[in-house]
Amino acid sequence: MTEVTGRPTAAARRPRPTVANIPRPAPAYAEQATTRELLDRLARLPRGDGHWSALRAEIVRRHLSLVRALAWRFRDRGEDLDDLIQVATLGLLHAVDRFDPDRGAEFTTYATPTIVGELKRHLRDRAGAVRVPRRLQERHAAISRASVDLYQRLGRSPTVHELAAETGLTDEEVLEALEGARAHTTVPLDATDPAESHDTADALDGIEYRAALRPLLDRLPPRDKRILVLRFFAHRTQSEIAAELGISQVQVSRLLTRTLTTLRTALAD
Amino acid sequence: MAEVATDEDLVVLTVPADGAYLSVLRTATAGLAARLHFTLDEIEDLRIAVDEACAMLLAGAPPYTELTCRFEVTQDTLTVAVSVPNTGQRLPGTETFAWMVLTALAGSVTSDVSDGHATIWLTKKRDGT
Repeated sequence: MTEVTGRPTAAARRPRPTVANIPRPAPAYAEQATTRELLDRLARLPRGDGHWSALRAEIVRRHLSLVRALAWRFRDRGEDLDDLIQVATLGLLHAVDRFDPDRGAEFTTYATPTIVGELKRHLRDRAGAVRVPRRLQERHAAISRASVDLYQRLGRSPTVHELAAETGLTDEEVLEALEGARAHTTVPLDATDPAESHDTADALDGIEYRAALRPLLDRLPPRDKRILVLRFFAHRTQSEIAAELGISQVQVSRLLTRTLTTLRTALAD
Repeated sequence: MAEVATDEDLVVLTVPADGAYLSVLRTATAGLAARLHFTLDEIEDLRIAVDEACAMLLAGAPPYTELTCRFEVTQDTLTVAVSVPNTGQRLPGTETFAWMVLTALAGSVTSDVSDGHATIWLTKKRDGT
C-alpha cells in the first residue's frame, strides 16, 4: 500500500517520515478487516508509527469515493475539481485522526461534516484572495499557446487581432484575457546561473552609461539584470527574451516593469 | 472591434496625479495600441513606457493636481502625451538611463516644460509588418 495523499498540503500536516514511521504495506489482515476494526486498531497504535501510517492510509483509501462525491458537490464554485479532492482528502485525514471509536458513531457520519467543513473553509479562504475567473484562465492558456505558435510562424510577436483569429475569440476577449494575465501572472523563481551570462556582458561592453547605474545593475538578481540589459542595451524584443529565457512574454514584461521600478527608486535616492 | 480609424482620433483621460491611477492609463494604452494592430511586444513596451513617463512626471507634480493623458490615434501611429502641472522641477535629461529606456520602449520621445506644465510625448509607430 502506498501513500494515498502524496500532495503537499496533506503532506505538510502529516508527521514527518522517519525511519520508524515510513508507512509499511498494510498488513494482510487489513484487507479483510472492517473499517470499524481498523479504526479501533488505529486508535490504540502510537501516532506516527509505520504501522499506524499504513492503517491510516488503508482507511483513507476506503473512503476516497466519499471524498470524491463530497468534492464533486462543490464543483461549481470556480475551483478545480482536483484541488477540491485534495482539500477533501485533507478533511478525511483530520476525521480519521480525530475520530473516537469509543463514542460509537459511524465513521462516515462523523467524517462527512468534517470533510464538508474543510471544503467550505477552503472555498471561503480562496474567496478572499484575488481569483482569476476560470473562463479567463482558460482563455489565457489558449492565448499563450497561440502566441507561441504565431511567434514561431511569423517571426515576430502577434497582434491582438491575429491572436483573436487564431483562438476564435474576439479582439476584446483577447485584450480582456491579456489584461487579467498581466495582473495575475506569477513568475517562476529565478534559477539563472549567478555568473553573468555572455550576452549580458557583451551587451554592456563598450556602452557608456551613468556611473550611478552600474552598481545598481550589479545588485539586481541575475535574471532581472539579464532581461533589462537584453531589452535596453542589446535591443532585443520581449518575445525574443522570453524565448531565450524559457518564460512567457507577459512574464518578461512583468519582470521588466518591476526592475525599472526598482531602478527608478534607487536612482532617485 | 471596429476598423482602424482613417483620420486622427483623439482620446483624453484625466486622472488624479497619483500612482494609484496609472493602471487606468496602462489599460487605455493597451486597448488603443491593439486597435492600431500593434504586436504584443509593442503593446507591452508602450504600457511600460507610459508607466515610466508618468512616474517621471509624478515625481515633480504638486499634490492634488491632475495628470492628463492625451492619446492621438492615426493609421499607424499612437502618440501619447502625458502632462502634469509643474512647479519648476526639471525632467530627466536625454542622456539619462530613464530617457534611454523611454526611447527604447516608445521609439520617439520628446518633452517640454513650459506654461506651468511638464509634458512628455511618446510616439510609437507600427512596425511595417
